[in-house]
Amino acid sequence: MKVLTDIHTDFAAVANSRDVMVADNAHWKTLRQQAKEQFERNGLPGRKEEDWKYTSLWSLGQEQFVHQVSQPGYADIHELKLVEDAYRLVIVDGRVDLTASYLDGLPEGLTVTPFSQSIDRASEFLNQQVNLEKPGFNAMNTMLMNEGIFIEVAANTKVDKPIELIVVNSGHTAHYAMHLRNVIVLGKDSQATFIETYAGNNQANGLTDVITEISLADKAELFHYKLQRESLDHYHVATMAASQAADSQWHNTNISLGGKLARNDVHSQLLGEQSHVTMNGLYLVTGEQHIDNHTRIDHAVPNTTSEEVYKGVLDEQSHAVFNGKVIVHKDAQKTDANQSNRNLLLSRGCEIDTKPEMEIYADDVKCGHGSAVGQINEDQLFFLRARGLDEVSARSLLTFAFAVDVIERISNEELKQSITGVIEKRLPRGGA
Amino acid sequence: MKMLEIKNLHAKIEGKEILRGINLTVNEGEVHAIMGPNGAGKSTLSNVLTGREGYEITQGEVIYKGENLLELEPEERARRGVFLAFQYPVEIPGVSNIYLLKAALNAVRKHQGLDELDAIDFLTLVRSKMQLVKMDEQFLHRSVNEGFSGGEKKRNEILQMALLEPQLAIMDETDSGLDIDALKTVSEGVNALRSPERSFVMITHYQRLLDYIVPDFVHVLSEGRIVKSGDKELAKELEKSGYSWVHDAPEPEGQPA
Repeated sequence: MKVLTDIHTDFAAVANSRDVMVADNAHWKTLRQQAKEQFERNGLPGRKEEDWKYTSLWSLGQEQFVHQVSQPGYADIHELKLVEDAYRLVIVDGRVDLTASYLDGLPEGLTVTPFSQSIDRASEFLNQQVNLEKPGFNAMNTMLMNEGIFIEVAANTKVDKPIELIVVNSGHTAHYAMHLRNVIVLGKDSQATFIETYAGNNQANGLTDVITEISLADKAELFHYKLQRESLDHYHVATMAASQAADSQWHNTNISLGGKLARNDVHSQLLGEQSHVTMNGLYLVTGEQHIDNHTRIDHAVPNTTSEEVYKGVLDEQSHAVFNGKVIVHKDAQKTDANQSNRNLLLSRGCEIDTKPEMEIYADDVKCGHGSAVGQINEDQLFFLRARGLDEVSARSLLTFAFAVDVIERISNEELKQSITGVIEKRLPRGGA
Repeated sequence: MKMLEIKNLHAKIEGKEILRGINLTVNEGEVHAIMGPNGAGKSTLSNVLTGREGYEITQGEVIYKGENLLELEPEERARRGVFLAFQYPVEIPGVSNIYLLKAALNAVRKHQGLDELDAIDFLTLVRSKMQLVKMDEQFLHRSVNEGFSGGEKKRNEILQMALLEPQLAIMDETDSGLDIDALKTVSEGVNALRSPERSFVMITHYQRLLDYIVPDFVHVLSEGRIVKSGDKELAKELEKSGYSWVHDAPEPEGQPA
């Protein structure tokens, strides 16, 4: 089946009940109508769909998701902040938590608001980076999204502090589903750091469906970090998509630790010359977790560069999918593209499906890709044990060492430290 | 006092018997050299003593300070003071040297019931040990052995030994891959660590190392047995006449053929 037939949640009915939100905005209203029609036609993809070959949405379809909170959620964000000093928006169970947020004293040229408070401006950028027809969650998200973050940085503005979004599923309402849309617009020659964390209470067993659309004007530079650390019973489907004008840079780091089923689609369109994208990825999965990262980079014009490193650590019965597509379009001469996916398997029961894909339609390019799957090196393990480290710590240390170069690339030192801490706690069989 | 006692040790790897009845006693403060041709079982002996997996002990026992060494995990041996200086020190990208040194020292200290050293005391200690092997401080912050030259790797081994202050150091072909300057530095490091409480077992193919680290005893290993023992003069004899004669040596007394 190309389409998942059995979906227990009536998402379309929820969309109808949310229509009141969009009443005043014609553009959004039109988009939502289109999305509803699209969703009714295609629903969610089945495994015959090429991009969903290794990820079955069957169990997600079986869930009865809830879209009304039964009791107000609460989250202690103290432990979730990755940097102290930031402009911060906190969303708990789909609603902005203003007391936990900090949006005071925004400098001139910077807009940071909840999506729901900037509908008219944000709507101008809606669905520019995502396509309703694409098999996946774009239609669902477009017809249901009702919150998120809106960031706009004016031309020639360098934002002085990171902008942090923390999204929490509190677990207070069972099977609670959130549909969020983030819109980030960077003007000419501007610079910003955006950190997004998705977290949840251990009992949270809902759905986070989020799309982050990014538009980078000439010479704009966005440092972008995503940390997904939701509960192991939670579903997470996300798209991060950017269009990049000349000389712009998008440095994306995508770390997945949580979720029962997590899917990321990361997409950059390099539309202007000398634009560059970095895609760093790390996934640490265990138990029955399933993580799927689909990345795509379009080199559309000459003289663009991309650098992609995705690393995975798999334990127990976990399953990971990596699909990295790099497309060098006709005329995109002097493209320089590098991609690698490396995986460390810690148990016999885990599975990785890795597929680097390069489609090259230009003839003067420098492109390389590779993927590797390996295990803990026994000589290294023995060496560490011969120096007195117990086997568990030694394995943990070697696992961390495998992942560390993704972390090393984080340029913000405070962020690097806090992400290191989060990852150390999540290392298989305890910290080093 | 006896530090190490190897009694009639037999060991197999992949079904093939490599050690065929080794007997050796090492007392506190003694330096023993074990020499032998390729394939004599030298590396197997060091691997068995330090607990590498893949070896099957079919007979015999090894007593280290009154304990059955072969029953201990590699890390338990290390914490009790057995140190292996590797023939081929492994590179570990992503683990800094200083992290390794700290983790190793703390593992030993914890076993001894001591607190972890604080950052300043630790650094002071490491610096003093680095002088011993003439290592530059930049090596602390590099990944373990990654991109090190052969000599730097071996010096790094001696640095670890100096820091951990083992009771029994087993040195596996420490001279291999060293030029003469590196050999001198490494030997000076080892000699500085010699003490009445510390014993060394040096496994080596060549006599060269023994010019710098002078052993109390020299043993010749051949086909899985010690076929001859003597003092440092034996090593010189070997240097002159090679190993060909050892194959003709009679079976040692008391050993099954």
